[in-house]
Amino acid sequence: MELCLFLGCNTPAIRPDVERAIRATMPELGVDLADAEGYVCCPAFGSFPSTDDDSYLASSGWNLSIAEAKGLDIMVQCGSCYSSLRMGRDHLAHDEEKLARVNELIELTGRKLECKTKVRHVSEILYNEVGPEKIAKTIKKNLNGLHGVIQYPCHTLFPSEIVGFEESPREPKALRILTEAMGATVDHYSRELQCCGGAGGFSKSSPAEATEFTKTKLDAIIEETKADFIVVSCITCLMYLDNIQKKLNEAEGTDKYHIPVFDYNQLLALCMGFDPKQVASICTVPRNKVIDRITAG
Amino acid sequence: MDFSQSDKDLWKQIYHTKDLLHCFNCSTCLSGCPASHGDPPLLVRNLARMVVYGLEEDLLNDDTPWACVSCSRCEEMCPMDVKPFEMILAIRRWQTSNDETRVPTAIVEIYKRGYTQSVGTNTELRASLGLPELQTITKMPEMLKLYQEMLMKTPVVSENDYMFNEE
Ligand code: SF4
Ligand code: SF4
Repeated sequence: MELCLFLGCNTPAIRPDVERAIRATMPELGVDLADAEGYVCCPAFGSFPSTDDDSYLASSGWNLSIAEAKGLDIMVQCGSCYSSLRMGRDHLAHDEEKLARVNELIELTGRKLECKTKVRHVSEILYNEVGPEKIAKTIKKNLNGLHGVIQYPCHTLFPSEIVGFEESPREPKALRILTEAMGATVDHYSRELQCCGGAGGFSKSSPAEATEFTKTKLDAIIEETKADFIVVSCITCLMYLDNIQKKLNEAEGTDKYHIPVFDYNQLLALCMGFDPKQVASICTVPRNKVIDRITAG
Repeated sequence: MDFSQSDKDLWKQIYHTKDLLHCFNCSTCLSGCPASHGDPPLLVRNLARMVVYGLEEDLLNDDTPWACVSCSRCEEMCPMDVKPFEMILAIRRWQTSNDETRVPTAIVEIYKRGYTQSVGTNTELRASLGLPELQTITKMPEMLKLYQEMLMKTPVVSENDYMFNEE
């Protein structure tokens, strides 16, 4: 199958090794990726969705119509991009007036939006289209003997009616099963469904409280599991959970927080034998231990 | 609470959906809300009350809607289909249209280059990772112009156009 890759802002700008991992792994699994030339910000919830419908949905329409012109569905990794595009699409698909207005606004591009293009999350594609069996068969190395914990991206769970793909949003399992497919043992912990806390204004307007909030999650992982790494599938979860551990160590004068964080596709790329320097090189918490285990295995 | 300044019809301006009136203050929207841990806390339930009661002054000055992380837990869990996250966005919109200092700086960035970050300028790093050059809108001046032209036709940009004019 072929999908239109929507990269958003943070991945290509700050963590392009994740982009590399996605571009490397998906075609190996039969998912070819086309670029969305001339795309714009999703738009992020703190931008146009917070100002008015016109600018919000026009930006959604701009992006959706790029993929629609190619006759392709969109694939996204970033949780916010996924949710913003998918909610924008939902508004447009159920409101003829809004859709007509957006078509008026994007007319100058020569494109037209019919809302045929669907917005899909990379973890959903991996789970539903590729499937754990194919992943297990394709990888050359594995995560045998390693323990992982999962951070599910909120934006792929709620509101389940619009963005969801799990059988039960209260008991998501796609990322767990996908991680187990590579041989890892996935440990559960009490705060598994707690938000990472990284998106939006919270961490900026209440930095101390936000750090404390995420600390409870990391403490639960440390106390309740044997986690060698955290698996995410959202660029915000990745950057936030990775960067905050150093801050916590500095604030508390410890080195207690040192759990490496990987995007799912990064682990997949490592298990497929891609060069760690290309697919998993940008991080705050060192990843060497896990990477060495995989490459040696 | 000062009800003397209460505007009974304010909710129609801010968030015109009957579902809002079904809110029965159960507080489900607070449990699991990351921003409810903030200082000051974001209390979705209270905001819903303020909108229904029409407390215009208080609502205009309330910063807490901007602390929302958009996780949509409240949207999922609210038993009365108030769609609290949509309400948060609606309050932000109403605040922005009444107070230009609320216009998020991010939209000026997006207007100027299409993105919140400087996408595609890290060519050396990208090349070292084996990545292709990105066809960003920033590198397509004609396209970017069309995008800006389109945005100029939308309320937030046309009404605050001085923020977006080059230099
Ligand atoms: S969960 Fe819904 S009904 Fe309950 S207080 Fe919040 S908005 Fe109101
Ligand atoms: S969407 Fe916003 S208001 Fe609702 S639970 Fe998440 S952070 Fe809280």
